[in-house]
Amino acid sequence: MTETVSMPANLPAPASGARKTDWMGQTMQKRIASRYAAERRFKFMGLAAVVLSSLFLAFLLFVMVGNGAKGFITTEATLTVDMPAATGSISAEQLTGPRLSATIASIDVRRIYDNAVQAQYGKDGSRFFASTAWTALRAQLTENPDLILGKAKFWLPTSSDIDRAAKDTSTPEAEADYAQLRQAGEVRQTLNWNFLTGSDGTDPAQVGIWGSLKGSLITMVVTLFLAFPVGVLAAVYLEEYAAKNRLTDLIEVSINNLAAVPSIIFGLLGLAVFLQFFAMPRSAAIVGGLTLALMTMPVIVIASRNAIKAVPPSIREAAMGVGASPIQVVFHHVLPLAIPGIMTGTIIGMARALGETAPLLMIGMRAFTTTPPDGFTDPATVLPVQIFLWSDEVNRGFVEKTSAAIIVLLVFLLTMNAVAVYLRNRFETRW
Amino acid sequence: MTSTAILFLIAGLGLITWVFARARAGRFIQSGAASVHSLPSYHGWYAAMWAVVPAILFLLVWSSVAPALGSFAVLESPLAADLPADPFARAAILSEARELSRNADLKVFNDAAVQLAPLYADADRRYMLIGALAAFLLCFAGGAYAFTRIRPDFRARTQVERTVMLALLLASLIAILATLGIVASLIFETIRFFQLVSPFEFLFGLNWNPSDKVVDGQATGFGAVPLFWGTVFIGAIIAMIVAIPLGLMSAVYLTQYASANVRKWMKPILEILAGVPTVVYGYFAALTVAPALRNFAVMIGISDASSESALAAGLVMGVMIIPFVSSMADDSIAAVPGSMRDGSLAMGATKSETIKQVLIPAALPGVVGGVLLAVSRAIGETMIVVMAAGLAANLTANPFASVTTVTTQIVQLLTGDTDFNSPMTLAAFALGLTLFIVTLLLNIVALQIVKRYREAYD
Repeated sequence: MTETVSMPANLPAPASGARKTDWMGQTMQKRIASRYAAERRFKFMGLAAVVLSSLFLAFLLFVMVGNGAKGFITTEATLTVDMPAATGSISAEQLTGPRLSATIASIDVRRIYDNAVQAQYGKDGSRFFASTAWTALRAQLTENPDLILGKAKFWLPTSSDIDRAAKDTSTPEAEADYAQLRQAGEVRQTLNWNFLTGSDGTDPAQVGIWGSLKGSLITMVVTLFLAFPVGVLAAVYLEEYAAKNRLTDLIEVSINNLAAVPSIIFGLLGLAVFLQFFAMPRSAAIVGGLTLALMTMPVIVIASRNAIKAVPPSIREAAMGVGASPIQVVFHHVLPLAIPGIMTGTIIGMARALGETAPLLMIGMRAFTTTPPDGFTDPATVLPVQIFLWSDEVNRGFVEKTSAAIIVLLVFLLTMNAVAVYLRNRFETRW
Repeated sequence: MTSTAILFLIAGLGLITWVFARARAGRFIQSGAASVHSLPSYHGWYAAMWAVVPAILFLLVWSSVAPALGSFAVLESPLAADLPADPFARAAILSEARELSRNADLKVFNDAAVQLAPLYADADRRYMLIGALAAFLLCFAGGAYAFTRIRPDFRARTQVERTVMLALLLASLIAILATLGIVASLIFETIRFFQLVSPFEFLFGLNWNPSDKVVDGQATGFGAVPLFWGTVFIGAIIAMIVAIPLGLMSAVYLTQYASANVRKWMKPILEILAGVPTVVYGYFAALTVAPALRNFAVMIGISDASSESALAAGLVMGVMIIPFVSSMADDSIAAVPGSMRDGSLAMGATKSETIKQVLIPAALPGVVGGVLLAVSRAIGETMIVVMAAGLAANLTANPFASVTTVTTQIVQLLTGDTDFNSPMTLAAFALGLTLFIVTLLLNIVALQIVKRYREAYD
């Protein structure tokens, strides 16, 4: 107990020399008012900063959705094809069972399509349709072979110019063509399934993201299978077993350093080590996965260490008390309790890897492939790189496709982050 | 047979070994052996380890040796007799032939490669088969050896745990390996670059106009000062002018003024800004911000405004950095002891006066450390500047002009099919090394400041 200073009941008046503050006087009231005004201004500035930042996010999303929504819609025009007249006579028996595929293969769809277009739209009628429209016709015939037996009306994708005329503005010729089609009622707008199932191409109306999305998925599989075990094991070692010595310090410094290295440096590493030194195939998902794994590993290590650190020592002591070996303590008792935190960190790290572009550009994952990759060593591209490549295209039709691809990428990333937050809130134990 | 199939087969064999070894060890317990040291599953793991690990290790070694063996086999063949004697030209043809044997629709530059491709395919297939056979033999031998060692008193758990410890250590060593890999690859290529361009010219030269031309063993046009300036201008000046006030004020508002409900919603929204991929920011900057700024500049009478202005890239980069600055400032303000704040409020200071004159000065070292980390983040950022900043290496302080940055030029130098030994490719590594060193120094200094500041209040 410190010495208490006893106060006299009634305070003596201030020494006669000191000026007494007149709090109610005009000058003091003015001063207080200006201080409160400054307070309000400061608070408003803080609010403005928060609002401005979130407005920027809203504006970004608004621009992307505004541009990209049209990318999920495609324009189609009709084409009437008199199949029996074009193919000679194909009987109904030829379309049954095993003979079906042979019959369809025997039809020269390309020629039939050309003739039908000329018959319906005149000599250069092919300008109305996408260059790949005949494959769409073939697909519809394969799906519904009965159409081969009669005269039928097909909805086929229009050319990129007409597509843009339907959505906003295009060349005057295309606008005129579109007006003509619309007057005849031969044009409609539908959902663009091809955008979700197709691959890269040169015609913006016909490109899709499945190729690059699959490349991203394959790359992420490689990254996850390398970075997750290595990251968790390293975290276990550093947090539970590592002796305090120089080697441990070196490992810690390396991990913290790797976490701060700009991503493009990992691209240079991948180029020099994986492509040059180990002569791995260029543009392959496995090299991209390896490079991203090196980048993601430190994130997983740091998150896992925090999760392991959060498990209270009493758990370890209790396990040790009933005779568990040090390895059993960690793998049977500590790690299962740390798993929610580890999963959260891993998902966040993977989300970052999924959105990463620069290191993959360095190792050449910008392959122009019109078919999705089928394996770890096939030339592939990933969704962010696809966005970058499309953003470079001169053709205005790519603007909506780029934005649409961005929407898909953002949906993936936001879902992953939401799952991470959910896992953290649902399973994290507060000790 | 592909390597994936081989791996799956070995994994399957490992599983079978695990099941059998476990069953065998289980019988000891059933038969009532006196002292069984380990649980049956540890015997299973022990045997599976012996079956799988040596085979996988062998395959790893083999996959790095087999390509060289394949090349030897091809060079032995009579078709390879008329290859050029120059080792560089020869290596180029060989590597092309190998690519061709893997991917038949490749474009070919050397016709000799076409003849050699089938030889390569042949040799690669042969060595793959030999490797797979040897791996399976190893797998069986290892499994059988472990199987014979299973006895009631065999300390399988100790053995397994020793291996697990080794695996843990190896996993943590990968971080060192990766760091060494980065440093070695950057330094190695940079030294080769400095044989063509003097380090002095690279670091202090004002003329950036890279080309593949090498005259008298010297390449010209590699003065990187305009790039350094562009990087600093966009990443450390313009971006920070946006990010520091917005980030700091957001942190102050969210920690000091906002109600718990507002904080609960606004913090994640700001975090989303950090989660948006940089390629999206880049596209946004190039598509929306840059044209708008250009129009604005023309409106206020700057006629030579570039559509790839430093301002567009810097602004968008600043927005990307906001959550980063905000969370660092948040942490350092939270670390200021509550007694300082309470003391100031008790003296009659208003909230804003407390923040401005007590909290922020006290938190300043932490904030400065956070800003340094943010700068290191910004100068290493690639996609925004690649898409929104230009390629012209100007030394200008006009924010509406086009400048180029280190990362932009690295991407520019390395995309396109240039030879790996050309000065342009090597220059990219020299730029990478510079970037690596600068970000590393910034991080070390920033962490040191933050650490010392934390100690001051502990």
